Amino acid sequence: MIEKLKHLLAHALINLVRAGWGGLASIASIAVSFVIIGIFLLLIQHFNALVAEWKEQFQVSVFLDDQITPLQFEMLRRRIENEAAVKAFTLTTKEEALASFRRELKGQESLLEGLGDNPLPASFQLKIRGGYQSPEALKGLSAFLSRLEGVEDIQYGKEWVERISHAARLIRLLGIIIGSVLTLGSAMIVSKIIQLAVYARAQEIEIMRLVGATKAYIRAPFLVEGVLQGSLGAGLALGILFAAYRFVAPTFNLASPLFPTAAGQGFLESSMMVGLVGGGAVIGALGSSIAVSRFLKM
Amino acid sequence: MIQMFHVYKTFGKDLEALVDVDLHIHKGEMVFLAGPNGAGKSTLLRLIFCDELPTSGQILVNGRNIVRMKPRAVPYLRRTLGIVFQDFKLLRDRTIEENLALVASVAGMTTIQAQRKIAQLLKLVGLSHKAQMVPYKLSSGEQQRVTMARALMNDPLILLADEPTGNLDAELAADVIRLLFEINAQGTTVLVATHNLKLAEEAGCRTVFLKQGRIVEEWQRVNRPIGPAQQKMV
Repeated sequence: MIEKLKHLLAHALINLVRAGWGGLASIASIAVSFVIIGIFLLLIQHFNALVAEWKEQFQVSVFLDDQITPLQFEMLRRRIENEAAVKAFTLTTKEEALASFRRELKGQESLLEGLGDNPLPASFQLKIRGGYQSPEALKGLSAFLSRLEGVEDIQYGKEWVERISHAARLIRLLGIIIGSVLTLGSAMIVSKIIQLAVYARAQEIEIMRLVGATKAYIRAPFLVEGVLQGSLGAGLALGILFAAYRFVAPTFNLASPLFPTAAGQGFLESSMMVGLVGGGAVIGALGSSIAVSRFLKM
Repeated sequence: MIQMFHVYKTFGKDLEALVDVDLHIHKGEMVFLAGPNGAGKSTLLRLIFCDELPTSGQILVNGRNIVRMKPRAVPYLRRTLGIVFQDFKLLRDRTIEENLALVASVAGMTTIQAQRKIAQLLKLVGLSHKAQMVPYKLSSGEQQRVTMARALMNDPLILLADEPTGNLDAELAADVIRLLFEINAQGTTVLVATHNLKLAEEAGCRTVFLKQGRIVEEWQRVNRPIGPAQQKMV
């Protein structure tokens, strides 16, 4: 079995080398298709990372009533602690709030001089779990917290949450549509390229057929060749993308927050890279299989 | 070895390539299938190696009814046949040795077995010294001998040759026929399709005449007089 596989692989490699420029052109064309898909995947991945980072930093502020009693404070703290949506929380006292405000007004502290008593309220800063960051869930949480005794106000940037949530939905939808179109288009291009390569060897297939080769025997080396072409093309695309990402993008100052290119960080996740090469292999196998089948009407 | 019973082959609606053909070729025989272009010779050969199926009738090859044969059994039947094509069907980008090795790999031979067989057959056809050459650097006669060597790679029970001398001058054609006799002498049944009646006549083998898809005459010996159908062909 291993011997047969070795033989098949060797045969496919020999055929690929024999195809010369034609074989290289096939691999290059496949690579171009996969570069386009790769760029798209990078965009999606970085957008998702950006949203995830924003979600990580996102917090709900629960401002406390100045007249809150120690009992009410303790009750409120426990309710927040036991709330499923809350991942972690911190307390900012009135003094800490004022100190923070002073830092923000650096150089203009005189503005605070006429204030007399500290007007800033104490607050709890809540970190929210990922699953509870939708506008609906936050609205529900906000309504619940605002009903609790000792709570003065709730703030969580409702508008921003809604905007980002809407944008994320839109990107996801666009991702599915554009991704499907690109993948399907690339699959068709790759399939046609491999079909052309197979057509160029129509005589070989005919001879094999006439000297008694079974369909499986004829198909196998073409299938392996298709897999090789597809995965080599996808691998080449990854190489081109990485080089562009690592070396070209910083030169042209394209390293915006959306593309943290330093030291190749933020490049496609390994699962995506494996998926891309695997996708190339599958498309290659399908393309060659379809093409060879046309010659195998025995 | 080959038996055809009331075989008809029609292409499209009304193009009759073969009409009521009854043909029996025995083991070890060498038979010429003669007739003008378009007589149905190539179609008859293609029916034997299952490249086409008859419209009606029965065909037995090596005792197997190929009309009822399942498609997956066809490759195994073809491995018992050797086919020589008029247009050679050699891969231009492969050496002679590699062209022959293609059949060896299909037949499941090991590398050593294949090398031995290729050497033996190239010696038989007198082309041992050209094993590493590509086909287009050989003459037509040499290419035809390569196709014969390739057809023999499987040790076929039956050798089918479609116009094996079609592209050759008289001297080279005689060489090819001599080679076919040699192959036949080793026990292989040989069926040769040719439009060259003189060649069939000189060979002195059993000759079957096809005209417009019908068997019109048959002869067995060299000295037998030529009938009206053959006279037209000559």
